[in-house]
Amino acid sequence: MTFSGEFLAFMGLALVALIGGVLLLNLTKVVHMVVALIFTFVAIAGIYVLLSAEFVASVQVLIYSGAITIIMLFGIMLTKHDDENEPKTGKLRKLLVFLGILGFAFAVYIGIYNFNVEQEQTALHENNTMQIGKALYSKYIIPFELTSVLLLAALVGSIILAKNEKKEADDE
Amino acid sequence: MMENAWLIPLFPLLSFLILLLFGKRLKEASAYVGILLTLASLVFSILVLFERFSEPTYSTKFDWLTIGDLHLTAGFEVNQLNALMLFIVSLVSFLVHTYSKGYMNGDERFPVFYAYLGLFTFAMLGLVISPNLLQTYIFWELVGVGSFLLIGFYYYKEEAKAAAKKAFIMTRIGDVGLFIGMILLFWETKSFEYSEIFAAVDAGAVSGTMITLTAILIFIGAVGKSGQFPLHTWLPDAMEGPTPVSALIHAATMVAAGVYLVAALFPLFAASKTALLTIAVIGAFTAIFAASIGLVQTDIKRVLAYSTVSQLGYMMLALGSAGYVAGVFHLMTHAFFKALLFLAAGSVIHAVHTQNIEEMGGLWKKLKLTGPLFLIGTLAISGVPGLSGFFSKDEILVAAWEGGHPILFFLALIAAFMTAFYMFRLFFLVFTGEARSEQKHVHESPNNMTYPMILLGVLAVIAGYVNTPWFGSFLGDWLVDGNPALGHGHVEGPIWIMIAATVVSLAGIYFAYLMYRKRSIARNTISGTGDTLHTILLNKYYVDEFYQLTVVAFTKGLSYFLRFIDVFLVEGLVKGVVGIVQGLGRTGSKMQTGQVQTYGAVAFFSLALLVVIFALTGGYLR
Amino acid sequence: MSSVPASAFLALALILFCIGLYGALTKRNTVIVLISIELMLNAVNINLVTFSKYGIAPSITGQVFALFAISVAAAEAAVGLAILISLYRTRKTVNIDEMDTMKN
Repeated sequence: MTFSGEFLAFMGLALVALIGGVLLLNLTKVVHMVVALIFTFVAIAGIYVLLSAEFVASVQVLIYSGAITIIMLFGIMLTKHDDENEPKTGKLRKLLVFLGILGFAFAVYIGIYNFNVEQEQTALHENNTMQIGKALYSKYIIPFELTSVLLLAALVGSIILAKNEKKEADDE
Repeated sequence: MMENAWLIPLFPLLSFLILLLFGKRLKEASAYVGILLTLASLVFSILVLFERFSEPTYSTKFDWLTIGDLHLTAGFEVNQLNALMLFIVSLVSFLVHTYSKGYMNGDERFPVFYAYLGLFTFAMLGLVISPNLLQTYIFWELVGVGSFLLIGFYYYKEEAKAAAKKAFIMTRIGDVGLFIGMILLFWETKSFEYSEIFAAVDAGAVSGTMITLTAILIFIGAVGKSGQFPLHTWLPDAMEGPTPVSALIHAATMVAAGVYLVAALFPLFAASKTALLTIAVIGAFTAIFAASIGLVQTDIKRVLAYSTVSQLGYMMLALGSAGYVAGVFHLMTHAFFKALLFLAAGSVIHAVHTQNIEEMGGLWKKLKLTGPLFLIGTLAISGVPGLSGFFSKDEILVAAWEGGHPILFFLALIAAFMTAFYMFRLFFLVFTGEARSEQKHVHESPNNMTYPMILLGVLAVIAGYVNTPWFGSFLGDWLVDGNPALGHGHVEGPIWIMIAATVVSLAGIYFAYLMYRKRSIARNTISGTGDTLHTILLNKYYVDEFYQLTVVAFTKGLSYFLRFIDVFLVEGLVKGVVGIVQGLGRTGSKMQTGQVQTYGAVAFFSLALLVVIFALTGGYLR
Repeated sequence: MSSVPASAFLALALILFCIGLYGALTKRNTVIVLISIELMLNAVNINLVTFSKYGIAPSITGQVFALFAISVAAAEAAVGLAILISLYRTRKTVNIDEMDTMKN
């Protein structure tokens, strides 16, 4: 293993992502947690670049670091009452979940450890956006359209769910 | 007709089922259901019997269970003995059904009584046409159940309850013997079929010791059912049941089942001298033993019960002395006259509402029909020449003499004397003299009670003439026809035996006459009330008390010990298991918090567990 | 060729996934639970993109699939928050352990 620039970049990004994740678990204020997660999302975008997926990386920055985080912050602000997230859940359950996750991670890690595939030269980084665009509008046109329908449905649904019916009833 | 013999037991079963389902609605009419269906059985039985006179044995079977190479069969067989038993059982059953219509009148569980009667009759008829031991055993137990239900019919009476239990348990003891013997026989011959067992025994495929062992074990079963010593104590107690039941169970059918079993398996017993001797000794001992107890009992039904035990001992003695014909013959005649006596006794009880003979007396004039009929039965059982009992008893005495047991012969002779004595003691005390207690409204029983008695009375007189030394031994020749293993149809005995038997029974009657009628001999000449001998006899030789002290005490001790184990060990274990399950349940119900997160945690934890196990034990690593 | 092996990316994805899972199963605040789920989805996306480059048959499909996943996740986040808000209006709480109407 050589300390190439790529490797250093990966290590740095991975470190940032993991620190963001650990902070998410350990911070006490909800807003801080969300902010910690922004680091993780951005770091993951960097990982995508390393994996020659520039378009996905930009989408990641836009959607996650931008949109979803903002939505979450909105949610927190709209519902905020006890900003403190005091841990009230049972210790036993936490332990059990921790053990389960440890076992799960161990089992999956065995799989990853044994994962070894010949690496091939790929052309993913050349005109990445154009490749995705071509694939989306030719091969994956139907899933693409379905996704747009889904997004529309989600949009309408969210509005209907979040709409304050009482107020509306009062207005009429 | 014989191929339809299997229908005969089904009629009473049908009666049982109908009364079980609709008894409450039928009420008094249920008697007609029972009577009609047993009448159908009787008609079929008579047809079968007559057909069997001219045609060979009919037997059929089909595979019931197949286990590997083993074929357990079920079916039926109509041989001479079975045809005769069918006739006797269905006849007595029919008469008892008819009689009960009057006797049980007004009882609120009237339909139940008839249902039980149907069940019992079904079991008994099924028993006597079984072609193999296994089927016999099944019906044998059903008979036990039927008798249990009938004896305990007045279940609100403590004595009846106890008597029913006692009858069931005592016969069960014998049944265990029968069961072991049956399995041993199966082990040896690989078959439950009578014919195959006899063939194997004939061919010498079974060792002599094994034959003796199985024969005696099976005989233990017969001892239990037929109330032979030492398992006789249930029979007198069983008199707590309704009197028609006593006539049905304890005269003609159930107690005869033991004798029937020995007779049906006679070739097996005949192959072992030891087994035969055992039967003969037990029979003779029971005969004199029970007769001596019968001398002093004061309950009319108990006297008859001990007389039954004694007469059954006679039959066993006959069979044990290789007198197959004599045993079966006496079984038949005894069924008639003992059923008659029981029904007549029932009629007396019906009239005076007491069973104590010391409180009766002078009933001859009041019971114009019952009296003479009772006299006929008494004469028959005493062995007065000309009546049925005389011929069959004579056959038995001849068989005992010819069988080479002079001691047993004399025992039987003494028992015959006692029989005549106590039967006439009973008769004189009940029917002659002055009434010894206030008796109001003494009246003759209704017709449906007297007609069966009249029919039985006729049979008690004439039934003996089918097998006599004078007019030919038709029954005996027919019974052993085509079956040399059963011995001869008629054994010509010395003439003095007949004379001796007659003298002995007449002497018994005369003695009883002197003592209880003319009173020229005081009643306490030999042994009065309060004397040691009298007390011992009155307490039935303390056999019950002996059992109480030994077997019952031991069993009770064992039961307490086992109960201790049960309470502290088994129950503790059970409670432990229950506790664990309850704890699990509580934990499980606590988990049902309604929170999605908890559900998710549990589901995930289980998934992780599975994945880990999968990873550790192989899975994609291999 | 590349100095960073595929398993490194996969391991990173695994750790992130586990963090997300732990958060989703133990945190009380519903918003954090939702965010944890987003983290898990991200971990999955890393896997997809990794296999798109280093898989047995590398192709653009993995990236396209990751895009779909991102858009669906966005929709999910929006609907989830909408539900959260309407729930908050009725129950006046965002604590997930107080939402136990499934019990009755």
